[in-house]
Amino acid sequence: MSFPISPRSKRSEAPSRRDVVALAAAGLVLPTLAGPARAETLDDLVRRVTDGVAPAAGGLTLEIPALVENGNSVDVRIAVDSPMTEAAHVRWIHLIAEKNPFPDMARIHLSPRSGRALVATTLRLAQSQTVAAVVAHSDGRYAVATAPVVVTLSACIDGG
Amino acid sequence: MFNARITLPPQAKVGETVEVKVLMRHPMDRGGQSDGKGGTVPRKILNRMTATYAGAEIFRIDMHTGVAANPFVSFSTRAVETGDIVFEWREDGGATYTRTARLTVI
Repeated sequence: MSFPISPRSKRSEAPSRRDVVALAAAGLVLPTLAGPARAETLDDLVRRVTDGVAPAAGGLTLEIPALVENGNSVDVRIAVDSPMTEAAHVRWIHLIAEKNPFPDMARIHLSPRSGRALVATTLRLAQSQTVAAVVAHSDGRYAVATAPVVVTLSACIDGG
Repeated sequence: MFNARITLPPQAKVGETVEVKVLMRHPMDRGGQSDGKGGTVPRKILNRMTATYAGAEIFRIDMHTGVAANPFVSFSTRAVETGDIVFEWREDGGATYTRTARLTVI
């Protein structure tokens, strides 16, 4: 299943011939654009939100079903081990789906007023993939948890 | 098109952590689907929800197209004082929606 999920997904494997010709005509084409763009891995996507810092594993639980029939609405629950005090709390939780057309799904901002770091929401998953939750702690640490999800009926299929 | 159902405990003690559940009614159009007439639907999602209570923003979720239609969000907050929790949504295109829910603290 390597076809682009949507022609407008802006994550196509390579710029179209028309784009390259148009850019070349404008004198803007770069040599790197000519080759196929390297697909971003989950690690790249995680490091983009942590500003290049490698996040620690553990310290949070990411509850998501291992097998879902319908990718249009997938329940997810994230619990972070944090005292949620002014000195040590969770700043945000970022949810990433590596193979969605737009991998960044949501960012949840918390504060010491939250009392506990426990949130839940519903996500859309385009296909079977690994989902990651990245946590930013107030002391500058980052943590990540990943979970593989098998989707039997995906979301985001074109023409629907 | 928009509606929201907010669930809070009927009352809470001071300092107690309460769970706030929000179920929104919104199609969360991710954009690019066929509209059945040869065109495509533009992206129109709720891109942000904030909750303000007792003088401070207690919760915010920035949503992208990876959030389901009719999204559900739950979070916690520490009961401080009796008052309204003000929820505000921002939709693509600039529309905003506001709902309030009263938390009674004993």
